[in-house]
Parts: sequence; C-alpha cells; structure tokens
Amino acid sequence: MENFAPLMHGFGVALTTYHVALMIVGVLLGILVGVLPGLGAPNGVSLLLPLTFTMDPVSAIILLSSMYWGALFGGSTTSILFNIPGEPSSAATTFDGYPMAKQGRAAEALTLAFLSAGFGALVGVILITVLSGWVANFALQFSSPEYFAVYFLAFASFVGLGGASPFKTVVSMGLGFAFAAVGMDTISGGLRLTYGFNELLSGISFLIAVIGLFGIGELLLTMEEGLRFDGIRARVAPRDVIRTIATMPRYWLALVRSSIIGCWMGITPGGPTAASFMSYAFAKRLSRRKEGFGKGEPEGVVAPETADHAAGSSAILPMIALGVPGSATAAVMMGGLMIWGLNPGPMLFIERPDFVWGLIASMYLGNIVAVLVVLSTIPIFASILRIPFAIIGPVIVVVCFIGAYTVAGRPFDLWLALAFGVAGYIFKKLDYPIAPLVLAMVLGDKAEDAFRQSMIMSKGSLSIFWSNGLVGTLITLGMLLAVWPLVAAAAGRLARAKSSSAAA
Amino acid sequence: MISRFSAEIGTAIATAGLGLTAVVGSLEYGVGWGAAGPEPGTFPFYIGLLVTAASLVTLAQTVVGRAALQTVLVDRIQGMRVASFFGPMVLFVIASLLLGLCVATALYLTFVMWLQGGYRIAISAAAGLTAAIFFYFVLEVGFQVPLLKGPFEAALGLY
Repeated sequence: MENFAPLMHGFGVALTTYHVALMIVGVLLGILVGVLPGLGAPNGVSLLLPLTFTMDPVSAIILLSSMYWGALFGGSTTSILFNIPGEPSSAATTFDGYPMAKQGRAAEALTLAFLSAGFGALVGVILITVLSGWVANFALQFSSPEYFAVYFLAFASFVGLGGASPFKTVVSMGLGFAFAAVGMDTISGGLRLTYGFNELLSGISFLIAVIGLFGIGELLLTMEEGLRFDGIRARVAPRDVIRTIATMPRYWLALVRSSIIGCWMGITPGGPTAASFMSYAFAKRLSRRKEGFGKGEPEGVVAPETADHAAGSSAILPMIALGVPGSATAAVMMGGLMIWGLNPGPMLFIERPDFVWGLIASMYLGNIVAVLVVLSTIPIFASILRIPFAIIGPVIVVVCFIGAYTVAGRPFDLWLALAFGVAGYIFKKLDYPIAPLVLAMVLGDKAEDAFRQSMIMSKGSLSIFWSNGLVGTLITLGMLLAVWPLVAAAAGRLARAKSSSAAA
Repeated sequence: MISRFSAEIGTAIATAGLGLTAVVGSLEYGVGWGAAGPEPGTFPFYIGLLVTAASLVTLAQTVVGRAALQTVLVDRIQGMRVASFFGPMVLFVIASLLLGLCVATALYLTFVMWLQGGYRIAISAAAGLTAAIFFYFVLEVGFQVPLLKGPFEAALGLY
C-alpha cells in the first residue's frame, strides 16, 4: 500500500472543522439540487463553481464533490417517493423503489437505496485510492500523441457504447468541439471563429452550456408534463434503519456485481446513468425472484443505486489521473480545476499531492457525511416538492440565469444560456446525447493542443499515432469503437438477410 | 402539434448549418500546414465537416425512416405548457438586461405567481421581493459576486 501514507496525509487535510462543515453544506445543497427537477448534479456544480473562484482549491473541490454526492442521493429520494427521477441516473431506481414506497415500505426502500449507494461509492473510492497513483505514474510517460489517443478513445467510446444514434452522438460531440474552438486559440494565441462579434472574443463558457442544456432544457421538459407531485410521505426512523441494515448481507451478490459494473462504467465514460440501467438489467436477469422485479423487489433498488454511486465516484479517477472526466459532472469539476489554475492529469499528483489526496480522503468522509445527512433530512427535502411548481419552477429559472451571469459577469451569457436551454430541450426530445457535448467543450482545447503538438512532432504525418505499441493500441481500439455501431448494424442486416433467405 | 419527423428534419438542418458555419469560419484562419504546424483553423474545419456529414446522415435516415416518425412529438397541450413557461422566461431575460437581475427577479416572480400560479398580488409581490433581496444579500454581499445592475440600483446609489 504505497498510497497509504499520502492518504493519511489527505485525511489530515480533509478532517478539519472547516472542511467537514463544507462537506455538510455541500451535501445539503446537493440534496436540494438533486431533489428539484431541472436542477441536477452537473448544473448544480456549474452554478456553485463561480462562487468558489476565490476559495482555496482544496476547499473548493471538497465543497463541489460533496455537492455531487448529495445530488446523487437527492435524485434517488424523488425516484422512490415521487416516481420522478431527480437525476437521470436514478431513473432505474423508480422501477422498484416507487412500488415499494406505495406498499408502505418507503422507509425500507430509502434506507436500502442510501446504504447501497454508500457502499457503491465506497467501492469506487477504494478503487481510486488503490489505482490512482499507479494510473498517474503510468500516464507520466504520456506525451502528446498518447494524450490525444486517450481523448480519442474516450470520445469514440461515446459513439460505440452510448445508447443513442452514433451520428447524433457525433453531431453533439462535434458541436461541443466547435464551441470550444471559439475565441482564443491556445497555441497561436490568435482569435478565431468570432464572426466579428465582440461578445464571442472570450469564447463560450462550458458552464453556460451546462446551465442551459441541463438546467433550462430539463425545466422545459418538466413543464411539458404539467407536473403534479403526488408523493408518498415517509419518515425514516432509526429503528427502520437498523432493521434494514440487518437485511443488507442478503444482497451481497447484487452489491458486489453492481459495484463492478458501476466502477467499470465510471472509469470508461459510460457514466452513472448507463451503469444503473445495466446493473438493473443484470440483477433482473440473474435474480431468483425475477417476477418480483418492477413490483417492489428490494434487489431492484439495491442494484441500480450501488452502480449509480460506484460510477459517480469512480468517474473522478480518470479525471484526476488522466485529465479525462468519466461523467458530465466530473467534466464540470475538471473545468473548475483548470479555472483554479490546476492542471488535471498525472502531474497533479506530483505538483499538488495535498489537493489530490485531500480530495480522495474527502470522498470517504463526504460519502459517510452524505449518508448520515440524507437519512436525517429526507422528510424536509421531500416536503420541498410539495410547494407548487408555479413557484419552484420560476425560482429555478432565476437561479439558473443568475448563475449564468455570475460565471463571467457578461450580459450576453444570459442569451447564450437561453439558446442552450432551447437546444437542450430539443436534444432531449430527439435523443441527442448531451454529455458528449459537455465533455467536448471541456476537453476541446486540450484535445486540439495534443493533436497539433503531435502533428508538429511528426511534421504532419498521422503515422505518429502508430509510432509505439501504447499509442497504436489506444488509437486502434478507439477506431474500432467508433465504427462499431456500423459493423453491428451491417452484421445485423446480414444475419437478417440470411435468415429470411433461409425461410424462403 | 409538432411531429417527430419535422422536428428531426429541422434539427438536422440546424446542426448541419452550425457545422457549415464552423467550416466557413475556419477557412479565414487557414486550414493547412503553416510555419508552426497545423494552422488555427484546421481543427475546427474538420470538426465542422464531421458535424455537417453526421447531420446529413441523420437527415437521410430520417427521410428513409419517415413512416415510423410520423408520431406526435409535442401535442397542443404540451406545447401550450412549454410556451407559457418559456415566454415569461424570455421576458425575464430582456428585463434583466434592461433593469438588472434583482429588479427583474422581483418582477418575474411576482407576475408569474400572480398571473399563472393564481396567488393574490400581495402575496406574489412579497415573495418576489423577498427572493430578490435574498439573492442580493447572499451573492452581492455574502459572496461578493457582482450581479447585473440597472437604473434602479443606480438610483439607490448601490454601486
């Protein structure tokens, strides 16, 4: 355990009164944005980010990551009590969580969800503790072609493994890169793609895009349904918690399997949403009580929740060790790191060990704080949803636009946020994935720099991407993933043609 | 009433347009090999081409799969709901730019609660004012993040 000593040092950083207080504040704010429809982890973090510009980076990341944990917990709460996922990643929890709550087992469902979520998160953090130093050491050997290959692989896996149409994924991703290119070119220092508008000189901030796409777009979608919240009242008594903890070992297999799925999907950019659905599907297929699923089967709550949080926390690993975030929220946090003047990636472990290990230690503590806080405050947060949406909706609108203005203090950003909001609504309606756009906006400049520096190294020859085993493997794997949907479609058509000709 | 088909077509044309905009915009900055490696326009140029191409494929897929896409994407009631939420939101943005964020917040919340939420004007106005004052003190005073000011703040001499 070469990472043990720095981790202990990290606990020393994280375990101060100030930082624990920040964790509690972060978790409470996180639960709030998680519970409110239209506000989720990515734009919650985006809205809070401008307020951390003056803070110490360690304190800031503790606040933001705690908010992330809180949001994940808040999202599960509304899934169970209201049948409305507060976060997209907790949608799978509604399948069995809401039926359980309807049967009067709300306290059991909530406790199960929080505990298995805490378990998943813990597995994710342990994985980060064990692997991060190793991954960072490995990545220290990377130069520009390797970095470009890693970015390429990350984006190719969106195309190859994402559920949406591969062409829509490419469109969304490409638009993200194009928006990132507006403004100053980081290599030549010149301006580009401003089309003569002074407002575009300083570029388009990814924070505005997140606030618009995730916040305003999500709100418009929520309004469309003409939301009425008919929630189930729940109070979680300590007795229920203890009784539910006693049943936890029963689900050990689901816990372990879901943690593995979650960690895998978190490290690769599959993200928490895909992880929770996949884990639910596996649990249903492999369970002995298949017919109970969808009607209030506890395992149907345990599986998606564990995977959701395992993915959510392990998404931090590639972000700090490689500089490639594994989820939209991690992308926003990485953008924050760059704004604070830190350089995410392997050098961070050498330059700012206090930051890295403080963050990792705070993930252990933050999740424990989150489980305790969420168990004790759920009735309060559930009652927020009983306030009519005619009040809540406009208040969220105000928060989003004020947040957009505080990013850089530019009036033009209000229009941009509105435009991104409309785009987010249309994209969601038509199944364009939004996470690749955000990731591309955050990584755009880095990916482009890596590409251009590789080209300078090789004097313009693409062969540099196959110049050694590592970069060649990454690029080839990325290309396979990118064309995978086409291959799969062609194979499917071929198989169908064969079976139909056999039938004839 | 908007059908899925027309929405898909409209969106694909819009994204293709954005892609072309990037292509045309990058041409100005050079898309070839310069003295210092690839010129600044190169990367956005190819990205723009990629977006345009992928949009055209989506367009083609939509036209080919036309029959299955004649479903209702947004019906009249849903459209009305979205419009009645979006309209005031646009007015809020315009008001913010003219009057500052705090005044616009107070006005927006008051009118939305009064006209759409069915609350009495006194209660709505009180809620709107409270929210505006709350945001002012938390952000402007607490976090020292400047908010967009308007003539009202200038008259009060707040900045």
